[in-house]
Amino acid sequence: MSAVLKSGYKDLAQRESCFRPGSTLCPGCMESVAFQNIGRVTDNGVKTIFSIGTSCAEVSTLAFPNVVAWGRGDGAPDDWTKSFAILHNVFESAPTLAEATRDVADALTACGALERKVQIFSASGDGGAFAIGLRSLLHTIHRRARVTIIVLVNEIFANTGFQYSPATMPYADTSTTPAEGTPGNLNPPLDYIHLAIAAGAGMVAQLSPAHGKMFLKAVERSLEVEGTAVIFVPAPCISGWKFEDGQTVELALLGARSGVFPAFTWERGKGGAVKDCELDAAQRPSVVEFLAEQRRFAHLVRKDKDTGAPKIVPGQEENIERLKSWVQGNVERMYGLAGLKS
Amino acid sequence: MSTLETTLGPSPHVDTPGGERYTDIINLARVKAAHVPFYTQREAVTADGNTAAALASLQMWRAIVYPGFPITPSTKWIETVAAKVGAQKGTPKRVKLLEAEHAVADYIAGACGACRDLVFITATSSVGLDHMTETTRSLGASGFGNAMIIDVYRATANYPLCIEGDPSDAMAHRDDGFIQVCSRGKQQIYDSIVQLPCLGMHPEVMTPTMPGYYGIKDSHRNAKFWVESDAAVHEFQDRWIHECDLPGTINGDTAMGNCVTSRHFQGFKVAQKRRIERALELLPQIGADFERTFGRPGLAYFDETGFDAGKPADVVVVGMGPDYGTFESVRDAWTAKNGTTTAGIAIRLINPFPREAVRKRLAGAKVVLVVNQAHHSGRGHLTLDVADALHGVDNPPRIVSAFCGMGGADVSESTWEVMLDEAKDAITTAPRQPYMVFHEGARL
Repeated sequence: MSAVLKSGYKDLAQRESCFRPGSTLCPGCMESVAFQNIGRVTDNGVKTIFSIGTSCAEVSTLAFPNVVAWGRGDGAPDDWTKSFAILHNVFESAPTLAEATRDVADALTACGALERKVQIFSASGDGGAFAIGLRSLLHTIHRRARVTIIVLVNEIFANTGFQYSPATMPYADTSTTPAEGTPGNLNPPLDYIHLAIAAGAGMVAQLSPAHGKMFLKAVERSLEVEGTAVIFVPAPCISGWKFEDGQTVELALLGARSGVFPAFTWERGKGGAVKDCELDAAQRPSVVEFLAEQRRFAHLVRKDKDTGAPKIVPGQEENIERLKSWVQGNVERMYGLAGLKS
Repeated sequence: MSTLETTLGPSPHVDTPGGERYTDIINLARVKAAHVPFYTQREAVTADGNTAAALASLQMWRAIVYPGFPITPSTKWIETVAAKVGAQKGTPKRVKLLEAEHAVADYIAGACGACRDLVFITATSSVGLDHMTETTRSLGASGFGNAMIIDVYRATANYPLCIEGDPSDAMAHRDDGFIQVCSRGKQQIYDSIVQLPCLGMHPEVMTPTMPGYYGIKDSHRNAKFWVESDAAVHEFQDRWIHECDLPGTINGDTAMGNCVTSRHFQGFKVAQKRRIERALELLPQIGADFERTFGRPGLAYFDETGFDAGKPADVVVVGMGPDYGTFESVRDAWTAKNGTTTAGIAIRLINPFPREAVRKRLAGAKVVLVVNQAHHSGRGHLTLDVADALHGVDNPPRIVSAFCGMGGADVSESTWEVMLDEAKDAITTAPRQPYMVFHEGARL
């Protein structure tokens, strides 16, 4: 991945995002922050097409007769490259829809019937991508479709009421793994980054807009790599993770730096890197700090009412040690993946 | 270097109910010009039904990407398409092999949305169609009349598994929202696939189509049929299909497949019903134009046998598919032996069901023998449709509801005879059961 942003922050900030006001996403939702940023990167003189799976991101941005929170400008732009199109089908099919769009564009181009480029994105939640839609995700990657797949990973089925997903962190309280008499979720999350690499992705990243430049650079780079680019976006969910308004970016950084979802970039043939997350646990923020900010882990850690310091709930020390062990294993695994060339 | 490209200036665009459509982005004339013909003149071909379907699919200039996934008995469709595309030098056509039927249906949704002027065709069968269902029901409501799923009829459920053809799959999917046309014989298969995009893509219909034919009996058995030249197919289709007024994702500023509130959802559903009802009016017009053009019968609600003008038959058979031909072959002898006049219709348009036309055709009959070949938890899909068509008719004919040929079993001459015997008895006596099952010349 290139070392610097091609377009520069100032340039990007002045671009017109394809994600507009009008969504009903929760205030501060990381999904809207991600879309705002992707929307600006894609205002680059190339027509943008999105496919989107059923998710919070879909029902909160495309709910007719509410305002459609997509598109550039208040009316249809005269410049086709600024026009924007989005297609929703079902929960799991966004990558396949994007692939089909790419193929049709390429087939038209081969006929000489389409002389201008299009750039194609797929957007899913982790429920749509890792549970019901894992087939679609992996096979579109496997076929090396020239699209950018965005997976917004909030570790739950947020749209249906915060149920367990295959990306749910160990010990999390979800509505189907309730931490009432049990420790919450006991399944380790699916190793989706490794799966994407193994399936043949040209580029894989795990980044949120909390890592501003890196995120923008990854999106920009995704438009240039051969094959399929996949960007997993850790997306703290105010309602599902149960944290206070205004902490979204803070939690995204803390989760990345503590090793829960390290910032990661990788390209086929070049390898990759873990960013802003030390391999040595002693040099990282403790995962306990991350847990303490979210009431989905209130059965493990709570903040001291007087000092605000995280306090492990008595009797949960063993589970916390297990969780720390999982986090360390996660970081080591990510460093290992970064070393892969193909 | 910036990723900013030099823009080519403003593009002409028009406001549509589906968003803005940019009119100079896709040059369809170039797609048509890139078509490499498979047939330059009319030819007689001897082949099976899957091949007939594949040839019709290949000849359309609007079809340039063919997604597929194999399942018996439709597999030879995608094999034939792949072989022909691979052997055709210079063709822009390409085949897309996906990982499952669901993926094929999803792919068609994406492709149809990308360009509403191209036709995207696949073939499937049985549980393959079931696997697509989540998306076929979306496609049925989508307005993507450029989607075509060829259904090679096969029994459904895998417990027990049966790979032979009965129309259980087609009948179970009538609520998916596709225009479904049953063909019998290779010529009808070929002809129907040539005509159906004209219906589905009509701006007042905009409904996906599902041509179908019986697995094994029609998909795998050979017969001679006429293949028209690609140029003739194009000329016919171009009379009916014009550039879509609505934008696709490539040439549009648009959002498709939005979530809607319940009040608006009902409005969409009403519009969906109106569009498919319009197909009832247009189908005979397209069929008539086809007959004028090619000299063969075109799309019709049903095939007819034995109706004498002004003189209703005692017993009228309602069936579908190739086994109806066996009725046609036994009809004269059975009539002569029993002194009971018979006629029949083989339903071709199974969705939307042509109620009014069926009602008129059955008027005056004493008994209607309805032959169902698909599994149904009640008296049979066709029986219920016929009963609905006859609702409110003065002195309605008695309905004898029969099941036979399930799992693709042949409906033998002796089976037809025993069913007709039951229908004859019903002229004077009410049918002995709400429905009866027949097999190998016996009532079970």
